[in-house]
Amino acid sequence: MKKIVKTVTAVLTAALLLTGCGGGSAPKETANEDAAQDYALVKEHTIIVGTNAEFPPFEFMDDNGEFDGFDIAVMKEVGNRMGMNVEVSNMEFKSLIGAMEANQLDVIAAAMTVTEDRKKSVDFTDSYYTARQYIVVQKDNSEIQSFADLDGKKIAVQEGTTGDFTASGEGSVNVVKDADVKRFKKGADAIMDLKNGSVDAVVIDMNPAMEFVNANDDLKIVEDETETEEYAFAVRKGNTQLIEAINNCLAEMKEDGTFDSLIEQYINE
Amino acid sequence: MQAIIQTIIENFQICFIDGNRYRLMLNGLRMTILASLCAVVLGVVIGLIAAIMKLLGEKRSVHSFRGILAWVGHIISYIYIDVIRGTPSVVQLLIMYFIVFRGNFTFLCAVCTFGINSGAYVAEIIRAGILAVDHGQMEAGRSLGLSYARTMRYIIIPQAIKNILPALGNEFIVLIKETAILGYVSIMDLTKASDFIISRTYRMFMPLIGCAVIYYLLIKLLTLGLNTFERRLRQSDIR
Amino acid sequence: MIYVKDLHKHFGSLKVLNGINIHVNKGECVCVIGPSGSGKSTFLRCLNLLEQPTAGEIVVDGVTVTDPKVKIDQFRRDCGMVFQQFNLFPHLTILDNVTLSPVKLGILSKEEAEKKAMELLNRVGVGDKAANYPVQLSGGQKQRVAIARALCLNPNVMLFDEPTSALDPEMVGEVLDVMKQLAQEGMTMVVVTHEMGFAREVANRVVFMDGGIILEEGAPSEIFDHPKQERTQLFLSKVL
Repeated sequence: MKKIVKTVTAVLTAALLLTGCGGGSAPKETANEDAAQDYALVKEHTIIVGTNAEFPPFEFMDDNGEFDGFDIAVMKEVGNRMGMNVEVSNMEFKSLIGAMEANQLDVIAAAMTVTEDRKKSVDFTDSYYTARQYIVVQKDNSEIQSFADLDGKKIAVQEGTTGDFTASGEGSVNVVKDADVKRFKKGADAIMDLKNGSVDAVVIDMNPAMEFVNANDDLKIVEDETETEEYAFAVRKGNTQLIEAINNCLAEMKEDGTFDSLIEQYINE
Repeated sequence: MQAIIQTIIENFQICFIDGNRYRLMLNGLRMTILASLCAVVLGVVIGLIAAIMKLLGEKRSVHSFRGILAWVGHIISYIYIDVIRGTPSVVQLLIMYFIVFRGNFTFLCAVCTFGINSGAYVAEIIRAGILAVDHGQMEAGRSLGLSYARTMRYIIIPQAIKNILPALGNEFIVLIKETAILGYVSIMDLTKASDFIISRTYRMFMPLIGCAVIYYLLIKLLTLGLNTFERRLRQSDIR
Repeated sequence: MIYVKDLHKHFGSLKVLNGINIHVNKGECVCVIGPSGSGKSTFLRCLNLLEQPTAGEIVVDGVTVTDPKVKIDQFRRDCGMVFQQFNLFPHLTILDNVTLSPVKLGILSKEEAEKKAMELLNRVGVGDKAANYPVQLSGGQKQRVAIARALCLNPNVMLFDEPTSALDPEMVGEVLDVMKQLAQEGMTMVVVTHEMGFAREVANRVVFMDGGIILEEGAPSEIFDHPKQERTQLFLSKVL
């Protein structure tokens, strides 16, 4: 009897050691490690990151079909520092919040602007980027000089983005009135529509706007005073542990220069 | 239980009542029906032409000018049906929108896309319906001095319609569901309306389920109507 | 009235007609008999180009049917045809079956056509069925309607393709009576038939076909009572 108890104890200890070992050997232990159990992740030791890979340079699909971009790179680094695997799940932008509420995602990394409406459904980390809305028009267009000139015009946008809200008259600073808004699933489709001349303008975040204009000689950007908007990662409502962990990592990355080098690599190049 | 009902009511309120979003759904439904109807009408016209072109070419010899013409028509219609049935409708829609229409006349573009798409299926329905009419009917018509076209018009097609109409009804139902991809080219159909609500409320359950229920009811209604119609058609056979 | 010269018809490698030569006079009633597969139906169908002959010449009522430039629809108005399976139009009433062609071809107005159709239907004994649909008629009635339908175009020639073969035995008589009456009125007729009694009584001439050629032809009494060919004798011994 004693022997059996001894054996069982030995096996249990071995098992505990083994699992402990597994955790311990994960890449780069950090100060956040002890909180690992409380992140309420969908999948153990894996952060599932939802994105919409149609928004360069923040997220896009590279020539090999891999997800890449500033947001993805930052989240991978965050995962690295937290000792977690990072898995990317690509979907339509408008579906991201719903998917997270349905427990399919842990983090949304999709150049998502912090808004009061969205705050009702998700919690945001510290902002990691400040952006503005740009107007993209055809090069020979001299009529549209500002957001005020967009009233009553035909505007193409990516569905559910800040550009969509602005063009639809739902913005808070630049309220476009009576525009005919065509909503596409991708920013690139909206740009195509503009190139084809069937809309007067595209309203989109400044970085993708610059990407698109760089790639298309016949388009130009119209800058106008507009409220700035803050990009942040979103997590499931109430998941404060995860927010804290991500915020800590972001702070660390800013301190040691990793963050700036990623900005350099993806955005300022 | 009460909590669940509470949540559902609240979600319903947010998704459909606030900001009169139910109107979006109704407008979307109207767009879905309108686009499908226009497309089915166009599809029947194109399908009839394609079916007759295909039928005409099947038996003609290539020794006369008319024979060669019929043969060319047969080939054109064969390729048309083959290509349309061999490519996804969403790709056809994107090609039509971005390349052919270059972003203009969005509704017309949608109707053309689905009309052309549906035409290929309708052509096969019509062709099968015509081939199902006894060959003796064509001979009888021709032996009475009626031309091929007149025999088709007065004798074959009226009989073929009985075979064709129920299948056409089914095609209409399929088409309604196909139009759910109209959102790809920024048309506010029923599916796109529910997409829009999701993008504004960040709630998926209500808009998606609501959208599905509306499609289901619409198609159920059509199916019931179609069944009654089919029964009527068959009644005229029993004398 | 009908001249056929060296008529050939091949279906791919199958040679159905191998050189038919025949001459039918105006007002004559010619019955074509022979075993099944002998090509008699194909021969008849070549006469109004329901089958395109492979070679040979056919002249009917002064029209060279085999000429590629012939207006075949025009010619067919003058050449009525009655089918084994009746081929009435099931979606039309009996009256409309008869009036369809003359009205659509603009030969008669609707009123004229209906008046004429009623006369014809009464003549073949189905005037009371004018408003009915084909499915409501018996086989014999259907075939009589088919004859009236062909007659409504005032043809100069009538072709009958085994008109009684699909009928129940008790209905054969009523159809043959109509045909007999037609022959007596002087209609030029070519009849493919298995009704030897009809051929003997009504035909001016009987043609025996086998293997895609005409083996023997002559007056009914000659063919039926003194057949010269062995094949004819054998065939007749089986059917008589």
